[in-house]
Amino acid sequence: MSEAFISIDDVYKRFSPRLSMADRIVSKLGARVETRPVRAVDGVTLNVERGQTLGLVGESGCGKSTLGRMIAGIIEPTSGSVRIDGKPVMEGGRKADTRIQTIFQDPFASLDPRMRIGDIIAEGPFAHRLVDKSGERSYVAGYLERAGLDPSFADRFPHQFSGGQRQRIAIARALAMQPDVLVCDEPVASLDVSIQAQIVNLFLKLRREMSITLIFISHDLSVVRHVSDHVAIMYLGRIVESGPTETIYTDPRHPYTKGLLESVPKLLVEDDALVHFKPIMGEIPSPLAPPAGCHFNPRCPIAIDLCRSEDPALRPLGPGHCAACHLAQ
Amino acid sequence: MTALTMPEGEAPILEVKDLATHFFTRAGVVKAVDGVSFSLNRGEIIGLVGESGSGKTVTGFSLIGLVDPPGRIVGGSVKLEGQELVGLDDAGLRKVRGARIAMVFQDPMMTLNPVLTIGQQMHLALAAHERVSKGAARVRSAEALTRVGIPDAASRLDAYPHQFSGGMRQRVAIAIALLHGTRVIIADEPTTALDVSIQAQILSEMRELAREMGTALVWISHDLSTVSTLASRILVMYAGRIVEEGPTAQVLRAPRHPYTAGLLRSLPAMAEPGTDLAQIPGTTPSLLNLPEGCPFRPRCERASELCAKNPPMTRAGERGYRCHHALEEAVSA
Repeated sequence: MSEAFISIDDVYKRFSPRLSMADRIVSKLGARVETRPVRAVDGVTLNVERGQTLGLVGESGCGKSTLGRMIAGIIEPTSGSVRIDGKPVMEGGRKADTRIQTIFQDPFASLDPRMRIGDIIAEGPFAHRLVDKSGERSYVAGYLERAGLDPSFADRFPHQFSGGQRQRIAIARALAMQPDVLVCDEPVASLDVSIQAQIVNLFLKLRREMSITLIFISHDLSVVRHVSDHVAIMYLGRIVESGPTETIYTDPRHPYTKGLLESVPKLLVEDDALVHFKPIMGEIPSPLAPPAGCHFNPRCPIAIDLCRSEDPALRPLGPGHCAACHLAQ
Repeated sequence: MTALTMPEGEAPILEVKDLATHFFTRAGVVKAVDGVSFSLNRGEIIGLVGESGSGKTVTGFSLIGLVDPPGRIVGGSVKLEGQELVGLDDAGLRKVRGARIAMVFQDPMMTLNPVLTIGQQMHLALAAHERVSKGAARVRSAEALTRVGIPDAASRLDAYPHQFSGGMRQRVAIAIALLHGTRVIIADEPTTALDVSIQAQILSEMRELAREMGTALVWISHDLSTVSTLASRILVMYAGRIVEEGPTAQVLRAPRHPYTAGLLRSLPAMAEPGTDLAQIPGTTPSLLNLPEGCPFRPRCERASELCAKNPPMTRAGERGYRCHHALEEAVSA
């Protein structure tokens, strides 16, 4: 079997807490100091085909952003590998490939306020010799237009733009690097509904016209359903269910996926629909001390003894569809 | 006129009429709230919906007199159980705030004092309006925490805010707002910062509370679907005005104002996955230089010359809308 375009193979990321001065001295003297690393991503294996969009869904602290950053080559996995087109995205602690670009949630934080839009967009391509000084202006203009912006904006500064326009600038900057893969970390979460629709449409257009592979990270289940071909649901660092978008949304098998989908407020409800509204009980446990066995077992309505002792593996349930649940049929 | 439409025997608990709050900035006068009227009955939940800059938060702040300079309430009235709140001095407002009308904010970390335990803060909130002993305060605080779904409330009183998760902190903020048997709670995007599963818990708890205690809620949100699960009536704001109001299900099923319709159409939940979303062209106008007439005119596909004149609120039964070219009454269900 040939390797997928993006292949994420048994990736782990642990963040160890900084030792205090006293602990460091003690450990230098040979004593054992107890440190508990946060297991942000805990053994994830995923494949994405070229030109497809993968939606990564989960609540805060589930590790979706950390996984996204490892795919984007911003941080290095503790173990395991992320390969794109057969090549590792990181080599020797550095990003090895410029064909992966990232778009962040907050366009107010991701654009340098002192740089003109044109310089923001041209900086990367210029450094990587995708364009020379003479072609810079028309190059920038082309990508501004592609992101739905007026080419004359190149001379302005970020503060002159609204949130939606800034996000378009961030998209233009990413596109200017001529990426094959775009990692989008909550790209529409901070935008108003009417602006959100414009940006979602822009992503759909880019996917159609440039056959870009998208990793779309979001907590918003309805946006993810709209843009993704495949969806992976994460909980406490692990993927609990993954599969084709429609399968996940119409036939979820993992109790967490089911609960999550039921928690989304519906736009049109019958008068007393809230009576049947069954939110997931309890809260997400701390990733410092995840529960034994299946991480979801303390909140799971159907957990049995097995779930408290044994970790369920991702099992195939249908074409492309897997879930990590002992009880999923 | 509002009085006529009320059910007999029950006066609205909160009555807002022609409320106007303007900000006098160096760049000009920002009419953040410009003639907002609505009324709220006992135990009723209404949703105040709008995008950023629509004036929904300033409306909430104006209701409990929290507008700071350069902002000022320049007109209208806010009546809480018949008592006029606009123009009340600080001492008068302090008596009302927290006791009969309270507010819950988006970020509970900003509302709670990080150096006091939850119990101390709740004691302070109680002592602001009545004489209570420490012991009695603890009992009542624990009750309030239990009511909002905090397990093991009595022992949690000695914890500090940072020891709570975001959802729990928001519950504490709601519990504090409920301490005095508050009649009206204004909740400004209270679940926006929370995860979906926690939001769902809080939404269902809030609806229970309103039902059991008769507390009325003004739920301010940008999220139509949150409001739809909670509110019986919905008010849609645009550029400082209510552009559409009515029973939630009716407004969402068959909006009359083109802005409401556009907002609904732009939701991914309303479209076939993978297809382009309907989008409202342009952006929300700057409140500093609103277009003449209907503020939605430059973005509206139905706009005509008539729209250069500001449309009045047209009322039909329980519904109301501000539009010269309102959409048809009912699209086939």
